[in-house]
This record gives sequence, C-alpha cells and structure tokens, in this order.
Amino acid sequence: MNNTIHVKNQEMINAFLLFFVIHTIQVGVGIHGFQRVIYQDAKQDAWISVLLVGIATHIIAIIMIKTLEIYGSNDLYGIHQDIFGKWFGNFLNLLYVLYCSTAFFSVLRNYIEVVQTWVFPNLSTWFISATLLLIVIYAFTGGLRVIVGISFFSFVLSIWLLPMLVYPLQFTSARSLLPIMETDIIGILKGAQSMTFTIAGFEILNVIYPFIKDKNKVQKHVHFGLLATTIIYLSVILVSITYFSPEQLNKSIWATLTLFSIVQFPFIERFEYIAVCFWMLVILPNLCLYLWAAYRGSIRLVKVNSTKFIWLFSVVIFMLSISIETRTQINAVNTYFSKVGFYVIFVYPILIYLLAIMKKKYRTRKEQKI
Amino acid sequence: MKKIKLGFIFVVLFVSLVGCAEQKLLEQIGLTTLLGYDLREDDKLSVTAVVRQVNPEFQSNVEVISAENETIRGARTVINRKTSKKIVTGQMRVVLFGEEISKDGIAHNIDTLSKNSETSGGLYVAVVEGETKSLLEYQYQDIEDIGTHIFKLLEQNIKSEQIISSTIHEVAHDYYSPGRDVALPIIKRKEEIVEISGVALFNKDKMVGKLSAENSFYLKLARDFHKAAMFETKIPKESLPASQTQESQEDITVVIDTISTKKKLKLINPDTPEFDMHITVHGRLLEIEANMDMDNPKNVQKLEEEIEKSMSKNLAKILVYCQEVDSDVFGLGEFYRSSVRESNLTYEKWHEMYKDAKVNIKVDFTVLRSGIFE
Repeated sequence: MNNTIHVKNQEMINAFLLFFVIHTIQVGVGIHGFQRVIYQDAKQDAWISVLLVGIATHIIAIIMIKTLEIYGSNDLYGIHQDIFGKWFGNFLNLLYVLYCSTAFFSVLRNYIEVVQTWVFPNLSTWFISATLLLIVIYAFTGGLRVIVGISFFSFVLSIWLLPMLVYPLQFTSARSLLPIMETDIIGILKGAQSMTFTIAGFEILNVIYPFIKDKNKVQKHVHFGLLATTIIYLSVILVSITYFSPEQLNKSIWATLTLFSIVQFPFIERFEYIAVCFWMLVILPNLCLYLWAAYRGSIRLVKVNSTKFIWLFSVVIFMLSISIETRTQINAVNTYFSKVGFYVIFVYPILIYLLAIMKKKYRTRKEQKI
Repeated sequence: MKKIKLGFIFVVLFVSLVGCAEQKLLEQIGLTTLLGYDLREDDKLSVTAVVRQVNPEFQSNVEVISAENETIRGARTVINRKTSKKIVTGQMRVVLFGEEISKDGIAHNIDTLSKNSETSGGLYVAVVEGETKSLLEYQYQDIEDIGTHIFKLLEQNIKSEQIISSTIHEVAHDYYSPGRDVALPIIKRKEEIVEISGVALFNKDKMVGKLSAENSFYLKLARDFHKAAMFETKIPKESLPASQTQESQEDITVVIDTISTKKKLKLINPDTPEFDMHITVHGRLLEIEANMDMDNPKNVQKLEEEIEKSMSKNLAKILVYCQEVDSDVFGLGEFYRSSVRESNLTYEKWHEMYKDAKVNIKVDFTVLRSGIFE
C-alpha cells in the first residue's frame, strides 16, 4: 500500500471536532430553499423524505469509515491510486477535485444570489465574490486547523437562529401534514434524491480522515454531526409544510427566509436581513472545507504549493461566478450538481468499499502465497 | 515587508468600501407605512401612499401622495416623481384595497407583494368600503398619521382577537390553498373616525360578500384557533325563568367574554360532504340585561342552553351565507383534503362540492364565572 499520508502530530485534530466539521459543511445555502424541491415530489410527506435522507447519510458514513479503516491512514485520493493504479486512479482524483470545486462554486454563487435578491439588489456579483474569496483565501492559508476552528465558531455563533422557528409556529396548522403517506413511495424517494444538494458535504470525511488524532472515536462524532443536521432539516421542513399552503411553498424559492420574514422584534424590523448577512458565517466552513478537499486532491495530481493553488483556484472561481448571472443558470448548476452529487455521495462509496475489500482479499491471498 | 504593505492596502480598501453598497439614510428617504389600491374607470390603477418623512431639524411629517398608472410599480415611479425623497417600502405595515378592485380581483397584488423581498410577511391587508384614496386623504381632526393609525387599529383588534387575522402571509396562504378562501377585515370612514365595519369574503381573489362586524366573531370562532374575545348575543325573553326585565324589552342581551374555545371538526360523510362541527366555549358572563338569580344552578343551565342555541343559529346562518356566495372561509376544503386519502383536491373540484356541503353545528357553552357581585 503506497501513498499513506504521514501527518505531523501538531497538524492533527481531535475526533470530537469532526462533529462541527460534518455538521457545518452540510448546513449551507441549501437550507434556504430545499423545501420546495422536495415538496414538488413528495407533497406533504416531504418530511419523510428528509428523514430517509438522514438515515441514508448514516449508512453511507458507516461504509465510508469502513473503507477508510481498511487503509489505516489514507484519504480517498490515495485509495483511488491504490485500487485503480496510477493513471486511472489519478483520472478519478481529477474528477473528485472537479466535484469539490463545483460544490465550492455552487455554494458561493447561490449565496451571492441570496444576498442580491434579499438585501442588496444593486450590489455587483464581483464585489461579493471577491470579498468572500479573500476571506476564504485568508482562512485557507492558515491550514486545516484554522478551517476546523472556523467550523466550530460557525456552529456556535449561528445555532441561535434555529429557535427563531418558534415565531412562525403561531401561523401553522398541523393538519397540513395529513394524510400521512398519501404520496407513493416513489415520490418520497424522488424527493429524497432531490435533497442531495442540501445534505451534501459529509463526504469530506474521505479527505479529512488521515488528520484525525484518535481514529477509534471517529464513528461516534460523525454520527452526532449527521444527527444534528437531520434534526435541523427535519424541524425546518415540518415548520415549512405546516406554515405554507401547497401552492405557496411551491412558489417560494427561499422558503426558510420567507419563514424568517414574519419574525419581528421591537428593535429589528426585518429579521431576515440579519439572517441573510449572518449566513456568511454559515457558508464559510463549506467554502473552506471544499477548497481544502480540492487542494488535497490537486497535490496528488501535480506538484503545486498551496499559495499558487489558492490564487489559481480563486481566479478561476471568480471568473466563473461573474459569468453565471441569471436565476435560470444558477438553478441549472444546482440541478446538475445535485444529480451528479447523488451518485458521488450515495452510490460511489458503496462501490469503492466493495472494490477495497476485494483488493484487500486479493492482496492477503497473494502475500500468503509468497 | 512587501506582503505586509500589500495586506495593508487591501485592508484600507475594504474598510473604506464598507457601507458603500447601498446607502439608505433616514433623512433622504420617505418611509411608506401604508399603501392603498383603487381601480379607476379606465382600468388604471390608483395607488395612494402614506409616506412618513424624517427631517433632522423638524419632527417627522406625514404626507399622502397618490398616483395613477397601469401597474403598481409604475404608480410608484409616478409617486417618486412627486417627492424630493426616495420612497422605500421596507417599513410598510398595511395594504388597503378599495372595494372596486377587491371585486375585480386582487390576485396580481397578492402575487406582487409576496414576490417583493422588501415587504415583510407580517404586513396587514384589509379592504376599504368605498375608495381608499378618499379615506386616506381626508383631513382628520384627531388623527395625525393615518398610516400608523390604521395599522394600530388593525393590530389592536387582531391581537385581541376581535377580528380575523389578515397578514399578507395568511392571505397568500389561503389564496394559494385549494380548500380555503381569503377573508379580510373591512375598514370604513365614519365622519371623523376610521372603524372596522366587518369582514369581506372572497372567492379565490374576488370579493363576493361581506359580514357585519358582529358576525365576524362567529367567523373567527369557526375559522381560526381562538383564545379570547368579547361577544354579544340576544336571547328571547320568555326563555329565561324568574327574570325581572323591563316590560318593553323583547330580547335579553348578554355579553360574554370567552376564556377559551375549542373547535372540533369531523368529516362524517366524504361523498356529500357532511361535517360535524363541535365548538366548546368557556366564558365569563360580563353583562346581562336582566335581574337573574345566578345562584340557582337551574337558571345558569337554562342561560347556557339559550346561549348555545343562539350561537349555533348565528353560526349556521353565516355558513349558509358563505355557501351562497361560494366562499369557503372556514377552510372546510382544507379539512376535507387532509381527511380524505388521494382526494387530489383542486379549487374547482372543491367548490363544486362546497355548495352542497352540510355542516352540523353543535355548540357547548359553559359560564365559568360571572364577576364579584351577585
């Protein structure tokens, strides 16, 4: 087994921090408007879809960890090279780097659009894009430990937004959830599949695994992180289904923000403005972690130092973000990403796991022969 | 060293750019607190805006500006041409529709309001008897800021549950729901005061009927979750035994403050459809126009029965009226959809059934207490 990663002790992170990493990379721009995508297929049973996706993430996480445990201390890029050989393995690595970059771009562009529609309609894309990229560059140069620190603070500083959902509760009627299971199972599953874009992110585990200090505790904290995400999404979708009427939810692009628009305090007239601006803190870990994952893959492909990589990467993303402008284009990017993401996140890990087991068996047999 | 210099330049650049995105200084803008829409004869839209302007040296003043154009936005640009300050709608609290436009249809307006990220979901919507323009432009003696006044009027009555709640969110909710129709409070000018005069009933987006303010209590009772409100009802004089009333009186008026109400709806026959509506009201007897011995449990029971009778009679009347004008403000369709599996309820399908829907009303009323003096 070649390519095993040796990480210096001071570069490692504790396993309990995985809770924040997994949770914060999952919660991002998707939560602003995932409701209607699921609702289109699953109707009032959309919450079942969310629950199913939650369970699916746990299963996939178990498989991912099992695969990684076979290799001890290696990431997905190394596993690719080991299973498929150098050339094809590197081709897959390239695809994975592209996947991470698309995720990064998608998060960035969606957030910019939200800022533009809700708060500053006249603010140009390049300005927000450049500002965000500079922050991300700054965080990235600090290394993984700084990025994980951002995840931690992102969680701690934004968790207070969740109790704000109590406010819309006075306008909800629980009967909207009835009759339960009216949608057939195919509709519910379709809804679950459309949620990929929102739930994506925990595949970062594939890349971050070698950097965990106490690997025996990984499983526990990953599951806690996934559970926290599922609880948040479930509560948001339950409030949304009961708060909106069917057509209304179908027409709301950012249902969560519309939910927030009913929140009023004596000292804040428009709460959703705060929510939108605060969301920068929520998407920051997404951007940093995806960028970092893309970087880890790139250094396997070509010898590149981090400074050169980050500037090149930023310039490309910046150019892309200003070239994609309209709602239709952004929606198209989301849809494609969600479609591809489904296979990358929910199907591919199973395949890799099976191949890894086969390879291991083959190898031990070979060693026994010798 | 070079890196630090570059970093310094960046910091200065970005700090100096902060806040330059889109300035909205309070002194330079006019805050629209209320908008009124009317329909003109030539199909043009007339928009009346109540704009509050804050001046640094004087106290803030309120201006009522109106403009006509084909669209809402178009009218807004015309309004903008009439003021020295930029008009913004971030503080808007109320939207009023004139009677004409309500009868013509307000779908487009609901759509536009829901679409606009600047308007809050907590905005109140109401119908004005007659024209909004004349209501807003009238020079009231005691009302300084008509926009805030109407907002407070609606807010106070909605919070104390005297009238149905009508935030833009709820209006949009009902409008986009196949089994529930919009109901809005009606406002009217009566000499020097503005008052809530009733409830407008809608079919989809068109106003088709109205209920008096007294009846709106019953509508609220049967429509929304309900906590506390005061209501007045009349019971026949003969029904109460041992009462000492004035000879000339025909009915006895009773005033009740509801403490809690519960509504139970049950679909007993999905084909007709037929519903059982069971309403439980616990209340406080505030006033009764008769000398009655409330110590006697028999008297109390008789009184309760009479109130129950009169309440269910009134409720049934309102229901029949709503069916006549084809406006399902009670949300019976919504209930039907959630009770019947695979009903695939559409608006047309439900309103076909709604006409023949039967509702059996049963009211349970309990007097909890009647004050500190017997």
